[in-house]
Amino acid sequence: MIEAKNINFYYDEFQALKNISMKMEPNSVTAFIGPSGCGKSTFLRLFNRMNDLIDNTRMEGECIVDNQNIYDKKMNVDTLRKQVGMVFQKPNPFPKTIFENVAYGLRVNDLGNKQFIQERVEESLISAALWDEVKDKLNKSAFELSGGQQQRLCIARALAVSPSVILMDEPASALDPISTLKIEELIHDLKKDYTIVIVTHNMQQAARVSDKTGFFMLGELVEYSDTKKMFLNPEKEETQNYITGRFG
Amino acid sequence: MIKNKFFKRLIEKGVEAMLTLSGAVTSIIILFMCIFLFVEGFGLFKSSTVEEGYSIYVNSENPVSELSPQELKQIFDSEVTNWKEFGGKDQAIRVYRFDEIFKTYPEEEMGEDFSILPIVLGDVVRENEGIVAFLPTDFAPEANNGIKMIPADQISFSDFFLGEEWLPTATPSPLFGLMPLLLGTLLVSLLAISIALPLGLGVAIYLSELADERTRRFMKPVIELLAGIPSVVYGFFGLVVLAPIIQKTFNLPVGETALTGGVILAIMALPTIISIAEDAMRNTPREMREASLALGATKWQTIYKVIIPYSKSGISAAVVLGIGRAIGETMAVLMVTGNGAMIPGSVFDSVRTIPATIAAELGEAPFSGPHYQSLFLLGCVLFVITMVISVASEVISKKQNYKH
Repeated sequence: MIEAKNINFYYDEFQALKNISMKMEPNSVTAFIGPSGCGKSTFLRLFNRMNDLIDNTRMEGECIVDNQNIYDKKMNVDTLRKQVGMVFQKPNPFPKTIFENVAYGLRVNDLGNKQFIQERVEESLISAALWDEVKDKLNKSAFELSGGQQQRLCIARALAVSPSVILMDEPASALDPISTLKIEELIHDLKKDYTIVIVTHNMQQAARVSDKTGFFMLGELVEYSDTKKMFLNPEKEETQNYITGRFG
Repeated sequence: MIKNKFFKRLIEKGVEAMLTLSGAVTSIIILFMCIFLFVEGFGLFKSSTVEEGYSIYVNSENPVSELSPQELKQIFDSEVTNWKEFGGKDQAIRVYRFDEIFKTYPEEEMGEDFSILPIVLGDVVRENEGIVAFLPTDFAPEANNGIKMIPADQISFSDFFLGEEWLPTATPSPLFGLMPLLLGTLLVSLLAISIALPLGLGVAIYLSELADERTRRFMKPVIELLAGIPSVVYGFFGLVVLAPIIQKTFNLPVGETALTGGVILAIMALPTIISIAEDAMRNTPREMREASLALGATKWQTIYKVIIPYSKSGISAAVVLGIGRAIGETMAVLMVTGNGAMIPGSVFDSVRTIPATIAAELGEAPFSGPHYQSLFLLGCVLFVITMVISVASEVISKKQNYKH
């Protein structure tokens, strides 16, 4: 379970998130939608403390992942990031082989021996629905794959370290429709084992893959409810305007 | 309107032609320089091992009929004083130089245009069984009845490339041995790069990954400024500050050693290495770092498992430019290495590098003589070394590069 309590977030003087509280259920897909610059990506990056990497930022409030306040001083950030995986907007495989890309997380965390790594890489690639396409070229460069394959490789890479949560920051925005479809199917399959939080620009995608949806605007969480309800019968007028395409 | 369009196209065509022309001219100049370098340099192998215009004569009783340039040098430097060392009789070598003739025969008795000189010289050679005479070919006696000429070879490839002595002004037979200079260059460069590379990469990693923005903004321009200091200033610094320190620290008779040169070169190569390597590392996409960190990798793991491999081609460029600078650097090295053209036995020996040799000797080498040509050949060697290094680095960085 993931919970955010009264989150305020600042880039220098600019307040990017305004008093946001929400809960995300385990083994479900939660989607964040909203116009560009509304703070949805910033909010997502709080849960594996990726925002720590950006200078001059400040955060108030509590983030709780698996009953731990992840902004606690005692929290080990590297352990947290193993527990909370992330998939980025653009496919970003390492300049290594396909195998080494997936094995990377296991190696840096000293997880298991050679045989375990071998098995785990295979499992992860199977879970990411990529195994059949790459099983004969595991030692080829990851850059030889297509964009969609690269993104699934990045998902496999995130799965390999057995996280409980997977954060996805617009994972299909750089992909063609067929690759997008594959990623969406994958998200659907992964739901039973992982808690998934996904940021997307594409409202149809949110409607297709998510159980719950949060609508962000100007740093505020305008509405957060079941996806069906959100798209069929939104409570707020802004939400209605956004999902019907009147702005955004 | 139509006219306007026409002029526009004309200008475009003109610019295009100018660009093509400038490219062609540059290429031709470079090609011409290379050809000039190699033609001049390889002219050395057409020159004789004995100084031009002179020949070596011995008494025909002497069984020795060939003498290599090294052997001639040993004889004329009195390092060898007996013929038996070269397979002759057990007989003392009598070295005879041309001007000695004027001690026994006054110049006035030589007749018009020194016409008697060859006869007198012939008598001298005939009378001394152990003689080796170094005489101008114009006044030399005829090589028969009692006189034998030692034939002069052309300077061979092995004389140059494997020669262990560099004595370009030795008479009668100058020695153009590349080895001491090449080994000197390699030693100094190796020292320089083994100091500069770890240090430079360390600083580059610090600047790109660890330093905060303010430190970097201050440090980077300062370091880059160091690259602009003229090398003669570095040389001066090395001579006045570094050489005495090294002399005292290692308790040496003189401070001008290969080590001093290596350290100075390392200091000179550092700004280049730091600046280029740092740029390469900072150009690693943010997504790469984030991907690594998001998998639970620590900062250090991210640096050596992702950032360094990713910036490998940039780092190898830094290394090549660093080595290039070290190998080609002239002035600073000339000032601090002591310039002893000997094969170095340790880092505390005085060495002379190839570029320092060219700089120091070109001014006093007679135009188009063997010495002059040998310096050009040194230039060719330098050229080839640099080319090999840059090609090698290209191959290495291509081989291990998974980037598009």
